[in-house]
Amino acid sequence: MIALVLAALFAQAAAAAPPAPLPKPLQTLAEGKHKDGTPILTDKQREALQALPEHTKKLLSDAADSMILGSTEELAALLSLDVQPQVLDLIASDNCVLCHADPQNQKPRALFSPHPATSGSNPLLNLQEMVSDVHFRVGLSCSGCHGGKPTDDSMPKEIAERWPTAEVRHADRSWIPNFCARCHADPQFMRTFNPTMPTDQLAKYKGSKHGQLLLEQHDSKAAQCVSCHSVHGIRSAKSRNSTVNPQRVPETCGKCHADPEYMKGYLTAAGAPLPTDQLAKFKTSVHGQALLVKGDLGAPSCTGCHGSHAAQPPEVAAVSQVCRRCHAQNGILFDGSRHKKVFEEHGWPECGQCHGHHDIQRPTVSLIGNTDDTLCGKCHGQYSRDDPKCNETALHFRTTLDQMIAGRESATGEVEKLAESGLDIEPVSRSLSDLDESLTQSKSKVHSFDSSTFDQAAKPGMEALQKARQEIASAHDEYRFRQRGLVGAICFIALIVVGIGLKLRELERRRNETKP
Amino acid sequence: MSGEPESGGGVFGWLDRRYGLKPLVEFMRHKEVPIGAHSMVWYYLGGATLFFFAMQVATGALLLLFYQAGEHTSYESIRFITTKVPFGWLVRSLHCWSAHLMIVSLITHMFSTMMLKAYRPPRELTWVTGFVLLTLALGFGFSGYLLPWNELAFFATAVGTDSVKAVPGIGDFLLQVLRGGADVSINTLHRFFGLHVVLLPLATVGLVSAHLLVIQRQGMAPPLGHKVAPRGMRFFPDFALRDLQLWLICLIILTSLAVFLPYGPHIPGIEWELGKKANPLAPAYPGIKPEWYFLWVYQLLKEFPPHFFGMEGPQGALLLISALLGLWAAMPWIDRRAQRDEASPGFSDIGAAALLFLGFLMLMAWDVGGGGDAVKLPDPQQSAHVCALWALGFAAVATALRALFLHQRYFLFTGATALQIALHGLAGLSYLLAAAISLAVLAVGLLVLRARGQDRSEVKP
Repeated sequence: MIALVLAALFAQAAAAAPPAPLPKPLQTLAEGKHKDGTPILTDKQREALQALPEHTKKLLSDAADSMILGSTEELAALLSLDVQPQVLDLIASDNCVLCHADPQNQKPRALFSPHPATSGSNPLLNLQEMVSDVHFRVGLSCSGCHGGKPTDDSMPKEIAERWPTAEVRHADRSWIPNFCARCHADPQFMRTFNPTMPTDQLAKYKGSKHGQLLLEQHDSKAAQCVSCHSVHGIRSAKSRNSTVNPQRVPETCGKCHADPEYMKGYLTAAGAPLPTDQLAKFKTSVHGQALLVKGDLGAPSCTGCHGSHAAQPPEVAAVSQVCRRCHAQNGILFDGSRHKKVFEEHGWPECGQCHGHHDIQRPTVSLIGNTDDTLCGKCHGQYSRDDPKCNETALHFRTTLDQMIAGRESATGEVEKLAESGLDIEPVSRSLSDLDESLTQSKSKVHSFDSSTFDQAAKPGMEALQKARQEIASAHDEYRFRQRGLVGAICFIALIVVGIGLKLRELERRRNETKP
Repeated sequence: MSGEPESGGGVFGWLDRRYGLKPLVEFMRHKEVPIGAHSMVWYYLGGATLFFFAMQVATGALLLLFYQAGEHTSYESIRFITTKVPFGWLVRSLHCWSAHLMIVSLITHMFSTMMLKAYRPPRELTWVTGFVLLTLALGFGFSGYLLPWNELAFFATAVGTDSVKAVPGIGDFLLQVLRGGADVSINTLHRFFGLHVVLLPLATVGLVSAHLLVIQRQGMAPPLGHKVAPRGMRFFPDFALRDLQLWLICLIILTSLAVFLPYGPHIPGIEWELGKKANPLAPAYPGIKPEWYFLWVYQLLKEFPPHFFGMEGPQGALLLISALLGLWAAMPWIDRRAQRDEASPGFSDIGAAALLFLGFLMLMAWDVGGGGDAVKLPDPQQSAHVCALWALGFAAVATALRALFLHQRYFLFTGATALQIALHGLAGLSYLLAAAISLAVLAVGLLVLRARGQDRSEVKP
C-alpha cells in the first residue's frame, strides 16, 4: 500500500515537473524578436515547440546549429503548419525544404511559404500544400523531381543540368508527361510505393486529345499532368481536397473547358467552336446534382463518361456504351428493340438522343406519348408519323404509367390520413412498396418499346395498386366501425348520465315534499 | 342506499353479523360535503383524478396481457398490440390519454385546493400526501414513456435521466442506479418497467388510501372563515351520484379523444406515435422534448448558464426547482393567515403567479413563435418575445377577471412574474437577470406593503 502511495506521489511529481529545456541552438532561435522587441513566436507556437518529441527538437536544433534553419520567422512558419511531429521530422531532415522556407534567405519567387498570398511569394510554392503532398508523405521530396540530395548544403550543379530552364519549361510543356512518367510508367519502381497503382497513364495520355495536342502539336495550352493534379500539393484522388477527387473533377475540367476565352480556337469534329457550357449544364443535370449536391460518389463526373488520362471527344457508339456501365438493363432492352436499327441508320447516339448529354434531367412520364408535346411524339411526327402500332404502344405506356403514378400519389395521402387516425397501415405500405418497385421496373421496360415486355413489369404494379386500394377501403371501413362504436358507447353512457340526473332531481323533489 | 339497512337477513345481514358494518353505513349516511360560497365543482376534481387512475390500472392491466419488456420484444409487442390485438389500439390510446388527463385533473385539483386554502390546519397531511401523489404521477409518466422502446422515448429518457447527474455528490451514483449502467440501455427499460407496474402502483395505492382516509376522517374542507360549513350536501347518494355523473362524462371525453386522436394531438410532449424502434447507436436528433408536464423543468435547465455561482448550470437549476417544490409542499405551514382561518390574498396571488411562471416556461419550451423548421432551429429570442406577449396577454385578462369577479386586489407576485416575463421576452435581458430584478422589486414591494400594513387589507382570497 505504502509503495502504491509513493508510486502515485512520484508519478504526480513527475507529471508536475517543468518541461526539459530546449537544445541551446533551438532555444536561441526560439527567442528571436521582432525589431520592436516583441517575440516572433506566439505563445501557442512556443507551447507547440515545447510539446514536440525530443528527437524532433534535436533534428530542428541541428538544423538551427548548421544555419539551414536560418531564422525565427522560418521556425514560426514551420510551427504554424500545425502538422504531426512525424511531418516536422521529414521537413527537419530535408535541407531543400529548410533552405527554401526561410524568408530571410530566399527571394519571393523561390520561397516556400504557408501563406503565399500574404507573403507575396510564388503561389505554386505553398508550404502548407507541400507538406500534404502525397510524394512528400512517402519520402519523395524536392530532390525526387529536381535532383540533388536532401542532405546537400547548397544547390548542386546536377539540378540545373537535370531540370529544364524556365524558358523551356514555359515555352513548351510537352516535357511534363514524360517527366512524370519516369516513375509513373515504371511498374517496378511504382510497386515499391503503391503496387495497385496503374502505370499506363502516359500510354493513355498519348492517345488522348490532350496528349495529341501537346505531344504532337506542342500546344502548351492542352492539359497535362500538372493541369489536373496540381504541383507541390498533389494528393490522392480519394482525398476530398484533391483536384481530381470525383466531386472536384467537374470544377478542375471546367477551369479550361468552361472558359470561353481559353477555349477560343478549339473546334469539334464537325468544325463548330467547342462549346463551353458543359460545366453549367452538368451542374443542373441529374448526375451533377447527385454528385455535387447529394455527394453520391457513384454518380459520374466528366471522367466517368469521357475517361481521364485517355480523355477523347465522345463518339456516338462510345457514349451509349458509357451509359450502359450503370444503366445496363436499359441498354439491353434498347438493343433488343425496334429502335436500335433505326438509330444506327440515322447515326443517332442511343441514350443521348432522348435524354441529352451534359444536362440529362430525371426522366418523367411526360416524355412518353403520341402527341406533339411529348418526346416520342415529336420524333415520330418527323420520322414515323401515323404508325398505328407505335401510337398504340406509346399511348399504352403513358396511360399505364399515369395510372400507377396517380394511384400512388392518392394512396400516399390516404395512407398518411389513415396513419394519423391510428389505423394499421402496414399491409397498405407493403402493397405500395410493390407498386414502387413495379413502377421503377416499368419505366425501365419502356426502353424495350414493346407492350408485352412492358406489361410483364407493369402488371404486378397494377395488381399491387388494386390491392392497396382494397386495403385502404377496408381501413376506412374499420375507421367507420370505430366511429359508430364510439357514437353507440357515448349514447349509452349519456343515457346513464341523464338517468342519474333524473334520479337526483327526484331525490330533491322527494326531500322538498317531506320537508315540514 | 337511503333506507335503513337490514341486519337480520340477506347478504348484508350475514356480513353485518360477522364484520359489524352498521357503524360504517351510519357514517356514510351522515357524511356530508360542505357547500360554500364558491362553486362545488372544485370538490369533484379529486374524484375525477381517481377515475383516471382507475382507468390507468384497468387499461394498464390489459396492456400487460400482451406487453413483453425486452430489447427485441418491447417495441414489437406494442406494435402487435396496436395493429393485431382486437381493440389493442383503443386500450393503448385510452391508457395514454387517461395518463395525460389524470395529470391535468390532478394539477387542477391541486391548484383549486391551493386557491381555496383547503390545506390549512387540520388538513396539512392531506395536502402533503396529495403533493407526493403528484410526484408519483410524474414518475409514472417518466417511467412509462420509455416502455415502447422507440426512438423518441429512448432519447427523451437519455436527456431526462442525464439531469440526475447534477445532484451534488451522489449524482453519478443516482444516474447509475436509474439507468442500470452508464447509458440508457435495456437495463434501464427493465428498471423502468418494474417501477411502472410494481413499485409506483403499490406506493400510489397506499398513498391514495391514506389521502382518502384522512379526507373521510376529517371531511372536506369547509369554506374559509367557517369552522363548520353553513350548509352541507349528503355524500350518499347526492354527491356520489354527481361524482358518478362526472366520471361518465370523463369517460365520454376520454373515449372520444382515444378514437379520434389515437396518437395524441401531435403536439411535442403530448404524442405517442410509435415511430422507429430505439437504436442506441444512432445519433440523437434535435428538437426532442419531454412530456408537457416536464417542459417547464426542461426550459429552466436551458435558461441556466453552464456555470452559476460556483455550481454547474444544471445544479443551479435543480436547486431552484427543488426549493420551489419544497416551498410548495410546505405551503400549509408557510401560509400563517390561512392557519388562523383568515383570508390570505397573498397566497392566492402566489398560485396565480405560479401558473403564469409555468405557462411562460412551457410556451418557450414549445418554441412558440420561434420560427424554425426541419432545417433551421427556432430562434430562442424571437420565441421568448412572442411567448412573453402571449403570457402577458393571458396575465392581463386573468388579472382583470380576478379583480372583477373575485374582487381580488393583491397582485404583487403576479406583477413580479409579469415583470420578469417582460424583462426577458420584451427587453431581451437574460432569464435569470430578469428574475433577479423581479425578485428585488418583489422584495421591495413586500417591505412597502408590510410597512404600510396593506397586507392586512380586507380583500377576499
